[in-house]
Amino acid sequence: MFGVMLYGQWKWSRLIIVLATVAGFALPIISVQGAAQSELSPLRVEELLDAVQKWGVLYPVLAAALGLLVAITTWAPDHRGRHVHALSLPLPRWRYVLLRFSSGAVLLAAPALAVLAGSLLATGTATIPPGLQGYPVALALRFALAVVVAYAVFFAVSAGTARTAGVILGLIGGVILVQIIANVANLNLDLFDRLQILVLNWPGPLAIFTGRWMLIDV
Amino acid sequence: MNHAIETQQLHYRAGKTFEIKHLDLHVAPGSIYGFLGPNGSGKTTTIRLVLGLVRPLAGRITVLGCDVPRDAPRVLARVGYVPEQPHLDPTLTVRETLRFQAAFYATWDWPCAERLRRQFELDEPMAFGHLSKGQKGKLMTLLALAQRPELLVLDEPTDGLDPVVRRDILSALLDYVSERHATVFVSSHLVHELERICDWIGVMDNGRLVIELPMERFKNGIKRLRVAGAPPRVAGPPFVLLARERANGAVETWIVREWEPEMARYFESIGASLRDVIDLDLEEGFVELLRTFRVLRP
Repeated sequence: MFGVMLYGQWKWSRLIIVLATVAGFALPIISVQGAAQSELSPLRVEELLDAVQKWGVLYPVLAAALGLLVAITTWAPDHRGRHVHALSLPLPRWRYVLLRFSSGAVLLAAPALAVLAGSLLATGTATIPPGLQGYPVALALRFALAVVVAYAVFFAVSAGTARTAGVILGLIGGVILVQIIANVANLNLDLFDRLQILVLNWPGPLAIFTGRWMLIDV
Repeated sequence: MNHAIETQQLHYRAGKTFEIKHLDLHVAPGSIYGFLGPNGSGKTTTIRLVLGLVRPLAGRITVLGCDVPRDAPRVLARVGYVPEQPHLDPTLTVRETLRFQAAFYATWDWPCAERLRRQFELDEPMAFGHLSKGQKGKLMTLLALAQRPELLVLDEPTDGLDPVVRRDILSALLDYVSERHATVFVSSHLVHELERICDWIGVMDNGRLVIELPMERFKNGIKRLRVAGAPPRVAGPPFVLLARERANGAVETWIVREWEPEMARYFESIGASLRDVIDLDLEEGFVELLRTFRVLRP
């Protein structure tokens, strides 16, 4: 069963996976291009770190986009068929969802491995100035985790019905409304700030996407 | 008697306007049960309830001896289902679709699938999305038959198909049924089609079961009578009087159900005379039945 699910998933998302794999491999290599020289002045070291940090912004973006697109393709055929075929298959619904989820998750391993390969190659071939270190495995692990988190979140959202989407939109609308009322009433309440802290700061569910993504660091 | 499908006091509601109420279905094992009804009468919803695709608000569903929706996966492994609309992945080829389906059914019969694929002239490399409506219908039928089910549930399997494709699909279904003695539950609004193949019939209208009886009784029992001199009110007729209309002069047309020839004597007892007994075909009977049901419905 898993084999045919995986094959279907590959057919729907192969372009995304291939592009993400290429990007994941190229990104670490491009980000350390400035480290080709063996003797770097302190100023140039700072420039290198700056370049690595700037390119590092793209890792969480790539992870989020990859998770989103693969999650959408995972459910797209079922949504198109109003889930009738899926529901008429002789297996419990939880098992079907698990098969769908895992088939997408398996394919996400390719871009994560590409980031690892690219990072190892980049740090292996570049001359890293004294005092700095390469973190290829840590970066690749973090990327893999971010991809899985993004995929899981969007997979769950995408699995929802129109009613679920309505509830989510209603909640967002409610928060905005409360914030507007608080602003008009001059209350010291910043819901967006609190939400941001709750979601994006450790141990928030999306904390993995924030912070610095450094292939080379002190 | 253990029925292949049995529902008891089934109740389901979709939105504010559509409701299935007090549905009691009894599909005998080995029978070909035609589920008739106009569009929007609740046939597809009933099928989805029977297969556990949607959950009822109340009532009990038993399919092949198992409770639905509780045991739906076990039931679905023994049921071949052809939905009203083909809901398969349009990007998969015929071959890939067969492989996908085969992976989920322990009873999948590859030689049978291959024979039917050749019989239906389905090209293996063709994507499902590029198949014609008739080819899609054939593929759906193939998928249902190749898993060797004990029960076939067909939701308007030939709706919108040309006569040649319809004949191909129906003959493949009948071959399978005669070979395996499977039960068939087939919904349609194509009355003549069901008349040819079914031995039981259930008629649905507006979410309710109007009638459920053997096809022979339905076909032979519904008559159009021409009656002269009948009083305005008649008490206790031995048949079911569905409709009574004035034709010309004192002659009336009566549409009756459960008619037997010896019942002609009844008209003498009420001072009327029976002029003619006309057989109605299934379609006419079906229309008259619905007409009466809608008039009498509270």
